[in-house]
Amino acid sequence: MTGAGATLFVVTAIFAIIGALITVAARRPLRAAMGLLVHIVSLAGMFLTLNAHLLAALQLLVYAGAIVVLFVFVIMLIGPEAETGPIEGRLVSRSTAGALTLAVFLVVATSVGGFDAAWIAVDADFGTVEGLGLAIYRNALVPFELISITLLVAIIGAIAIARSPTE
Amino acid sequence: MITDRITSFLGVAPLLLLVAVGLSIMLIDAFSKDRSGLALTTAMSLFAAAAISGAIAVRGDLVAPAQITRYLAVDQLGLFFDVVICAGAGLSALLAGGYLKEHGLERGEFYVLLIFTAFGAMVLARAVDLLSIFLGLETMSLGAYALVAYRRTSARAVEGAVKYFLLGSFAAAILLFGSALLYGATGHTDLAGIRDAVGSGAADPVLTILALVMILVSLAFKVGAVPFHMWVPDSYEGAVTPVTTFMSVAVKAAAFAVLVRVLAGAFGDEVSMDLFTGWTPVIVILAVVTMAWGNLAALAQSSVKRMLAYSSVAHAGYVLVGLAATYELGPTAVSAVLYYVAAYTVSNVLAFGSLVLMGSKGKEAVSYEDLAGAGRRHPAAAAPFVVGVLSLLGMPPTAGFFGKYYVFSAAVQAGMTWLAVLGVLASAVGAYYYLKVIVYLFMREPAEDAPIAVPMRSYYVAAALLLSGYYVLRMGVTPGRYLDFAISAATTFLG
Repeated sequence: MTGAGATLFVVTAIFAIIGALITVAARRPLRAAMGLLVHIVSLAGMFLTLNAHLLAALQLLVYAGAIVVLFVFVIMLIGPEAETGPIEGRLVSRSTAGALTLAVFLVVATSVGGFDAAWIAVDADFGTVEGLGLAIYRNALVPFELISITLLVAIIGAIAIARSPTE
Repeated sequence: MITDRITSFLGVAPLLLLVAVGLSIMLIDAFSKDRSGLALTTAMSLFAAAAISGAIAVRGDLVAPAQITRYLAVDQLGLFFDVVICAGAGLSALLAGGYLKEHGLERGEFYVLLIFTAFGAMVLARAVDLLSIFLGLETMSLGAYALVAYRRTSARAVEGAVKYFLLGSFAAAILLFGSALLYGATGHTDLAGIRDAVGSGAADPVLTILALVMILVSLAFKVGAVPFHMWVPDSYEGAVTPVTTFMSVAVKAAAFAVLVRVLAGAFGDEVSMDLFTGWTPVIVILAVVTMAWGNLAALAQSSVKRMLAYSSVAHAGYVLVGLAATYELGPTAVSAVLYYVAAYTVSNVLAFGSLVLMGSKGKEAVSYEDLAGAGRRHPAAAAPFVVGVLSLLGMPPTAGFFGKYYVFSAAVQAGMTWLAVLGVLASAVGAYYYLKVIVYLFMREPAEDAPIAVPMRSYYVAAALLLSGYYVLRMGVTPGRYLDFAISAATTFLG
């Protein structure tokens, strides 16, 4: 990774962590949504450092554009003033959860930090529209088609639940 | 040649058939008001898919393009689970044909959801790549959430569905996290590549273990193993009974299939078992607490439906006993697991189906009290119930007996006699609540002013009970044929 790339990575990584922390820690839902936005935009920046320009653009379009807007829309429908109450739960379960989280974090941090993977050469079309198209529609055609069934099931399920019970 | 092109897809024909039928039913339902044939069409298509899978397995036409086999295995193991899942789903569709009509709940979406959920379960059971595991799991789960919430005017159904949805989403997220870590540790998303990377020592051991733990947690959630079973009683009780049947057989079978593929397949070599002490102790502990808690909690229930929900938790424990023996014993233990899943499928359909049969419009049979004296008033309707609970209990000559026998003897052969003894003791606890059903059916009288549940009349339910009852007895008298299929699936998988 070149110097500029490394700088971009560090900056976006810091912002991604801050955004993620705001998302889970904010009491007000709107702030959490804004934290998510920061996180998503930072992730798009990270994709840039990985030479995945198309993915970065899609990340901005779909996630920052559509999904965060959808979240904000729902929050506004419910009422932005809604606040979560104080976190329930006994000290035992909370401290167990905290200890487990810390343990997972430490394990991941130490093993990823000490991990020395070899660099893999990528094709010239990596990250381009052509490259992504080939990856999706040739190599990963089966998962791509499976996703269409997954989405279909989700749509049918949502309609089945939301339909008026009188019909 | 065009015929060669078509036959080259033969290995995934059951999956393609189900998608085609599901889409057709959606279209038909949109343009037709007549819903009387939907249940039969659905059940017949699922049985056809099961028959095709069985025929492919017997003929050995395990062909599919490499594009597909990279993500979905076309092997005897996958076909075995195709048969089990499609049979379970088909019998549930028959039960639904009687139940939904009787209780005025019949809508076309139900059958579409059932077919696509079964499709997701089959994808999951064939998945050999982390990507297809996740997609199969999500397709199956999304369908199952919607099916649990199907009777949405009922507060219990909504409660069960919301619990299942929230916890299930967490489990899926944990699976994703584990998959990401596993990819990071090994550089592969396909199970074969992961196996090679772990076996050659190229993978980071700590990260691999953490990833495997996370994947195990989410799969243990799906099979309903203690302590990840919290959602089971509520969503099984809230769902309409045919859905409960479907979830307790097909969804569980698919989760066990992927457990076998991941544990015995991808992590079944010496190197994986050398990481700390391997996964066997984890599965043993899960099996012990699941058997103990499932059986003890089932004792305390006053609702038969909830009792059967806890009993399905306990049965997950018995299957885990067989799974715990797979490293020591190889194909023998895997075939015991497969046979148990098949035997449990027909037995559970029989028990839940009898519960469906016992109620009719306005009064569903749910609690023990509802069953009081029903056996003496309606002996023919009570007979399948007796056979069903005896098979779940593991009495000869039923399928459940050989299921338990193979699983426990696998544990003994693997040098875990104490685990088999614990399993037998747990089954003895189970005798209390299973026999209680029979006691209430034949030896109790309903309370004076209690509403009396009258058995429904439905050819669909009768057909489902006859079919599952036939296979319960058939697998209990001549288990050889079914065991051979299980053994050949296990041997070709591990061989």
